[in-house]
Amino acid sequence: MSEDQIASPKVLSRFGGLTGLRLAGVVVLLAGALAFPVLFPNPVITNYGVFALIFVAVASAWNFFSGFSGYISLGNAVFFGSGAYALGIAARDWHVTGIGVFALLPLSAVVGALIAVPFGLIALRVRRHTFIVITIAVFFIFQLMAYNFSFTGGSTGLDAPFLPWAAQTYNNPFYYIALACAVGAIALSWLIRRSRFGLQLRAIRDDEDRARGLGVRAMRVKLSAFVLSGAVTGLVGGVWFFYLTQVQPPSGFDPLFDLSVVLMAFLGGLGTVSGPVLGALIIEPGQLYLTANTNGYISEILLGSLFLVAVLLMPRGIIPTGSEYLRRLTTRGRAAVPAAVPRAPDQAPAAEVQR
Amino acid sequence: MAREIYQAIVDGILVGGVYALMAVGLTLIFGVLDIINIAQGVMVILGAYLSYELAARLNLDLFLGLLITVPAMFVIGVVIEWAFIRPLRGRERTSMTLLVSYAVALIIEGILYQAFGADDRQLSAWYVTSSVHVFGFYLPYIYLFGFALALVLVAALYALLYRTGFGRSVRATMQDETAARLVGINISRVAAITFGIGVAVTAAGGMVYGATNSFNPNSGYDLISRLLAIIILGGLGSIGGALVASVFMITLESVVDIWQPEWAIVVFYAALVLVLLIRPTGFFGRKAVRAQ
Amino acid sequence: MRPNLPWLPKRVFALSGAAVLSVSVLAACSSSSSSSTSTSTSSTATSSASSSTPITIGASLSLTGDFSTDGQNYKQGYELWASDVNAHGGLLGHQVVLKILNDASSPTQVVTNYQTLFATDHVNLAFGPFSSLLTTPSEAVAARYGYAFVEGAGGAPAVFNSPANVADHNVFDVSLPIKDEMVPFANYIAGLPPSQRPKTAAYPMADDPFAVPPVQVVQTMLQNLGVKTVYSKIFPEEAADYKAPADQVAASGAQIVVLGSTDVPTVSAFMQAFEQQHYTPKLFIAAAGPDQGTAFTSAVGKGNAVGMMVPNGWYPTYANAASQAMVQEYVSKYGGTASGVSADVAEAYSVGEVMNQAVTATGGTDNAKIIAYLHSGVTLTSVQGPVKFDTLGENSAAAAFVSQWQDGGNAFNQVLPVGEAGSVAIIATKPAWTS
Repeated sequence: MSEDQIASPKVLSRFGGLTGLRLAGVVVLLAGALAFPVLFPNPVITNYGVFALIFVAVASAWNFFSGFSGYISLGNAVFFGSGAYALGIAARDWHVTGIGVFALLPLSAVVGALIAVPFGLIALRVRRHTFIVITIAVFFIFQLMAYNFSFTGGSTGLDAPFLPWAAQTYNNPFYYIALACAVGAIALSWLIRRSRFGLQLRAIRDDEDRARGLGVRAMRVKLSAFVLSGAVTGLVGGVWFFYLTQVQPPSGFDPLFDLSVVLMAFLGGLGTVSGPVLGALIIEPGQLYLTANTNGYISEILLGSLFLVAVLLMPRGIIPTGSEYLRRLTTRGRAAVPAAVPRAPDQAPAAEVQR
Repeated sequence: MAREIYQAIVDGILVGGVYALMAVGLTLIFGVLDIINIAQGVMVILGAYLSYELAARLNLDLFLGLLITVPAMFVIGVVIEWAFIRPLRGRERTSMTLLVSYAVALIIEGILYQAFGADDRQLSAWYVTSSVHVFGFYLPYIYLFGFALALVLVAALYALLYRTGFGRSVRATMQDETAARLVGINISRVAAITFGIGVAVTAAGGMVYGATNSFNPNSGYDLISRLLAIIILGGLGSIGGALVASVFMITLESVVDIWQPEWAIVVFYAALVLVLLIRPTGFFGRKAVRAQ
Repeated sequence: MRPNLPWLPKRVFALSGAAVLSVSVLAACSSSSSSSTSTSTSSTATSSASSSTPITIGASLSLTGDFSTDGQNYKQGYELWASDVNAHGGLLGHQVVLKILNDASSPTQVVTNYQTLFATDHVNLAFGPFSSLLTTPSEAVAARYGYAFVEGAGGAPAVFNSPANVADHNVFDVSLPIKDEMVPFANYIAGLPPSQRPKTAAYPMADDPFAVPPVQVVQTMLQNLGVKTVYSKIFPEEAADYKAPADQVAASGAQIVVLGSTDVPTVSAFMQAFEQQHYTPKLFIAAAGPDQGTAFTSAVGKGNAVGMMVPNGWYPTYANAASQAMVQEYVSKYGGTASGVSADVAEAYSVGEVMNQAVTATGGTDNAKIIAYLHSGVTLTSVQGPVKFDTLGENSAAAAFVSQWQDGGNAFNQVLPVGEAGSVAIIATKPAWTS
């Protein structure tokens, strides 16, 4: 489903935009994801799964704000860390232990959303590069606050309550919760994309001033997406904290977190629904594996080179490039690809009216 | 107490000069190429390592060594721009340039680790540890020289921008790239040379930074966030703005440091957010005329 | 959309450059990843079978990232121990094979690494990572899998009080607990006659769980003695933030400086600022940094190092036969001088020694027995001195010394406690800066 076709009424009339084949594909993937810990019971594999899914959620959440609106945020770690700390502080102060901590997870999402409001009101008033730097500045403010306040544990950070579970199956509950978060984020992303809200976001991306002129309540739209993004990211921040059993300022608020997320979304395809998913699934496990097994310094050079190759070779990301390649294959020998055909005459008047 | 404040202000101005050296290149690159070069932090460190090697192997004085490192970094900058930045275009250019500059930073860092190891180093010279006694304050020579160097470089850049034909092309490109192209300016050449200049100036910044701080390949990341804050505050593309912003921010931080070192950096970033709310284009930035 | 031809060659160059880079690097790394430690063979049973099966020991170390300097030193220490043990017949007759993974100073990575070591590689035993930041999440993993977690670099209270350790008691820190490490220094000040005792002191501390507690303990003790506190602040642990606190300490003119530091750059930044301000404290002790041997003296200059003090449980000239042997070996393997050996190496080496004694005493690699043995109150030996673990895994037998650089920066000697075996005369007034 290319961007040009999104506005086409013909596309929207299909069941939720999903054809039979795509729906089947989604179902198969979901079934596979659910069965994953059963098929691969080795905790090391499920560990990769947990982190991969956490980043699938983070990348999707980042993407449905930044990818759709064009406002590149390098401050999503603010929500991630805040969600982690919120969970830690709540567990500590309310003396929650064991499984009960999972019940506190919604708090992480709420904290993420609440922080996104003032953050968004401040940051979304400026554009592009200034926006990027403001997100970086706010990120550092939060990291430094985590160091300086005593209720956050200062430089020592916070510990999660201990779970006396068997090592072999310890990762599984976390895996399923992370899966739920990831599926939720993907679903949210998909819903936004095919909704009018998503259209408004993309209008903002294409030309904000014109969008405003056409009646889009830009600040409200941007802020809503930002808050949703913050809620999801905060939520997985809590999951991450509980899984890792600790949070400290440099790990909860990691300066390279957002850059990794940008890369994931970009690699898969900025602005698509499945792009960030693919990107996260490739990069997070890949990075974990590579770092552990190579002589450390080489991995940096390797990582950087791979990024370069990815950006230069596939500037639109894997999903768009891949689907276009497939389309070219399937339409080989026939007339030119639909995208090159000028719009059908019946659509032109609609565009005129809008102007 | 008053003496402490004066000391802090003096410190802030001197250290601000060092940061200006590093920030000026970054803001120039932004102004012309419209990209945020995340690799700038690592390039400062690269400049520091180059100065270190020259001093260690050839026993060259640090400032003299600049005569070699600055042109070397210029060439490196031009090559990077030509190979990795120029192919980027399209709507996603912002994220692409972010990622590419991050990738370049990773690669340079990895190469530095490989070549020099993880040990901390620092540049040394007679003027690093000795200071001149003025009005009851001790002013370390290295900071004075660094500040002077910053002024010289800023002046030189101004001369380049306002007195030469090339400078006119650069200014035209900063103002309106499409119009500049229409007038016949070779944008690619301007972009490459500007990037090279931006990186070359960083060599000077790297030398002074390396003389006043310990560094290892990982040191670039702490720097880049401050540099970004400084250039936004000064106004993207404004060289004088970078100088003023550096001195202002570092002095502010230095003064707050008297009471609470932990909150001093927060003030740095909080001040940035505040100023941007009041004046989104920074001190001397021009209004955003560029189309989205 | 097809690319235009003129644009193609440049991109191809950039791409092929990047591709060639990646390929050559892949080739390089596949040959260098099997470094001096042999790659581990696949899983072996926890109880030793025939003496031909090696005993595998897994560890995650920070070979890159924030802790890379220390991580690399630890790698050397672990490897030195392993080669020593193997040269003497191995552990219970089995050769020791180390499997070291890089965690890039990241908690996410360290948790992944230890799970890999335990669940996929099925290592027999585990050694700890570097730093308290990474020890807390990894000890939880070790607790789940029932491994004894012997380490040398996680000494902050948070490590011992972590929920996992409180529940499972599997952490064993062979090094000196940090909280009281500077007490000998405070005792020295107390022991001076009041007329000779310094009157003022400054306490700058880097914001790190390792740096703050020991300095605060000293501050309380010295204040009770009547030494006036003219500066006491915590500053962020970032290279750009050292000058301002250092200048303020210099302006205060304090006679004693107790610096809460975790690495060499912090100490050298303070020393440089002091020199620029023409300020020399009478006594200058730092929590860490001067114990890094050559890394310290080459950063600050040998002349300037004279008089600098640091608390530790070990120094290269420590009068311990095993320690001396280790130092000799290190120098012959890696070069340099004896006084240039970093304390990290000794810490890592001690981890191996303690594990060796536990394995030998319990007759096997059963981690539950090892844990029980280590908690039995037995006193073990190491190059850092005696090791005895309390219920939370702290080394209660570790003796705190204070060492000082002397003899023009060529000797790193134990000076405190005064009169203790091995202590030489202390340089009571730091000489002026040289250069």
